[in-house]
Amino acid sequence: MSAAPGRGHAVRWEAVRFAYDGVEALRGVSLDVPAGTTLAILGPNGAGKTTLTRLLIGLLRPRAGRVSVGDWDVAAKRPDELAARVGYVFQHADQQLFERTVRRDVAFGPQRLGLGDGGVERALGELGLLGGAESHPYDLPAPARKLVALAGVLAMEPGVLVLDEPTAGLDRAGRDRVIAALRRRSVDGVTVVVVSHDLAFVAEVAERIVVLREGVVVADAPAGRLLGDAAALAPLGLEPPPAAAVGAALGLPGAPIRVEDCAAALGGVRWRGTGA
Amino acid sequence: MALDAATFAYPGARTPALLDVSLAIEAGTVTGVTGAVGAGTSTLLLVAGGFAPRLTGGALSGRRDIATNRIGIVFATPWTQLTGLATTVRAEVAFGPASLGRPRGSVLAACGAALRDLGVEHLADRDPASLSGGELQRVVVASVLAMEPELLVLDDPAAELDPAGADALYALLPELARRGTAVLVATPDSERLARTAERVLVMEGGRVTRDGPPAAVLDDTDVARIARAAGCPAPYPLDVAALVARVVR
Amino acid sequence: MIGYVPGASALHRAHPYTPLAIATGLLLMAFAVSAPGAVWVVVAAAALFAASAGVLGTVLRPAAILALPTWVLLTILHGLLGGAPHVMLGPVAFSVPGGERALVFGGRLAAILLAFLTALATVSPARLVEAMTARGVPFGRVYLLVSTLTVVPRLRARVRQIVDAQQCRGLRLGGSPLARLRALGPLVVPLVLSALAEVDEQALALDVRGGTARGRRTALEPPEDSRADRAVRLAVLVAVVAAYAWKFLGAGG
Repeated sequence: MSAAPGRGHAVRWEAVRFAYDGVEALRGVSLDVPAGTTLAILGPNGAGKTTLTRLLIGLLRPRAGRVSVGDWDVAAKRPDELAARVGYVFQHADQQLFERTVRRDVAFGPQRLGLGDGGVERALGELGLLGGAESHPYDLPAPARKLVALAGVLAMEPGVLVLDEPTAGLDRAGRDRVIAALRRRSVDGVTVVVVSHDLAFVAEVAERIVVLREGVVVADAPAGRLLGDAAALAPLGLEPPPAAAVGAALGLPGAPIRVEDCAAALGGVRWRGTGA
Repeated sequence: MALDAATFAYPGARTPALLDVSLAIEAGTVTGVTGAVGAGTSTLLLVAGGFAPRLTGGALSGRRDIATNRIGIVFATPWTQLTGLATTVRAEVAFGPASLGRPRGSVLAACGAALRDLGVEHLADRDPASLSGGELQRVVVASVLAMEPELLVLDDPAAELDPAGADALYALLPELARRGTAVLVATPDSERLARTAERVLVMEGGRVTRDGPPAAVLDDTDVARIARAAGCPAPYPLDVAALVARVVR
Repeated sequence: MIGYVPGASALHRAHPYTPLAIATGLLLMAFAVSAPGAVWVVVAAAALFAASAGVLGTVLRPAAILALPTWVLLTILHGLLGGAPHVMLGPVAFSVPGGERALVFGGRLAAILLAFLTALATVSPARLVEAMTARGVPFGRVYLLVSTLTVVPRLRARVRQIVDAQQCRGLRLGGSPLARLRALGPLVVPLVLSALAEVDEQALALDVRGGTARGRRTALEPPEDSRADRAVRLAVLVAVVAAYAWKFLGAGG
């Protein structure tokens, strides 16, 4: 097995171009993501975010340029081979479940790769699914099915994790679990790429942010610097996430962008009793 | 729309999805509904809109009065809400008013107004199948608005939208209320509910456990979480301005 | 491709009933004649129908895929089990009348497939809805017909999504027949289950948009039913009636 579980791979797009039926979706994108980085890709609908990530798993082939995952040239591999290194969670992943129980569905990917059950139980636990592990997936509401699909990919313990809008439709508790799971993968050294419109979520997990617009990279910066900078975000059509906005409004030390960092920076502040 | 001690169970379910809910929704207001997955928010919308049990099956007890038959519903997943019969966005949006047998001119006028409201006039001649999820969701909302509903229920309508699109959609809801529509919107996005709704219902285990203005019932926006973690006494501020106002400097 | 293929041919621009009438006419003609040569003239006519719409290339492949297994079966069954006289094909005695029957049945199948795949490819579902609505056909019937005609293109996108998703979970497509068979479960089960999970929402959405409303719908852009359209449909009718008159009366007289 070429992918050692828990070890990340660098991901690289080199001068990548892609077009759908003659309409250019990516117009020369180059990004170099070192192993173990958590990268968030932002941008309006239609900017090319999903196209960029689908190139990583070989579902799309670039018209020009080169995509690589570690020492693999993606062009030389099929998606099912790439699955050993790249775990891809689709935006509407709740539509891919097919086993009779949640646990069996989560175990499908690991079995294909010849992995044990350890990853399955860990992923079920992390996403709060152990209680319903014997349920039929389609007896669960769609947001819960989405978590099942995510667990199915986490359980494959890929070195590179790619998630397309992982928090859309989730409730707060589900969202918190996804955040915690991604942070743990980051600690393990896994390379994480998230495409998301949810800036508060991005602030919680990302180290680096790339903004795409009309198929080109218009911003590429450390998360802390970009999300705390309202003036830089405004022309991109984005607003700072709440924690960054609080930090900026009160001039908090360390310019926090995460909820717990912001709360810590507020420690010792005195509060008025009511909201009046 | 009013419910009095309404309890509803889906066919074959052992426990009711909605339990002893009493509430009234007035015309001209935006009411938010929030709660964890499985708390019953979607079911409340189906019952309030008169769709359950009529189309879902199951059993409803208690009293329900719906003072209009012009009711629109929007779900989070746009592709389930297309007729599948239209090859242009215009035809898709016109489908509703056309099915009421209204004259052609009036159908096209309603269709045009709805496309403008959602800012998707430029998509009128496109094939719905060629649109992105975000574009499609706005077309779906326009399709429902073209019916000029008096009661509009929306279930996480911005899940497919980018922040600008979601903001525009949520900004439209009070505008619809001003035109006299009763709007009922469910979402886990408490930030946008706090900004949009005059009243919020919080649900747990099929019951409405809190009901009031957002500032009184919501406590899980990111700002509220920051304030709570930093020792602020309840009620927690929901947005940045409210938090800044609570800090003694 | 089984489904509508946009185009600018006269058949694409015709009233939607016209290609449907031609396809139905070809079907009836294929059964009106019984000599192998005559059946294959109908097949040629169906191919001409497809070519005139510019869709011969698109419909040939699905027609062949759908027809081939039946052709093989027909040839083997009738060729081996048919009566005398026989010709020797190597060690096998092949029935001449059986072979002719296989040609007739196979030809009918080919003509029907070509004719209806061409009609599917040239009739825009949206225009068909408008045409039927303008004629006052109840919506329930319109919906049932058109959603059946469009089922293949509608499922395509979802099949693609599921294939993509399962490959990303390590599912290998292709390989031995047994491996292919095993790969079917993860592809077909979610296709059916996820479609079922959405049926409720779909029914609701259609209900809200007046899909269940009684009374006549407004046709917004009813396709023009030109004199040429009506003439073509009349010609089809006359040809079919003449063919059956020949079959039943001519043969007897």
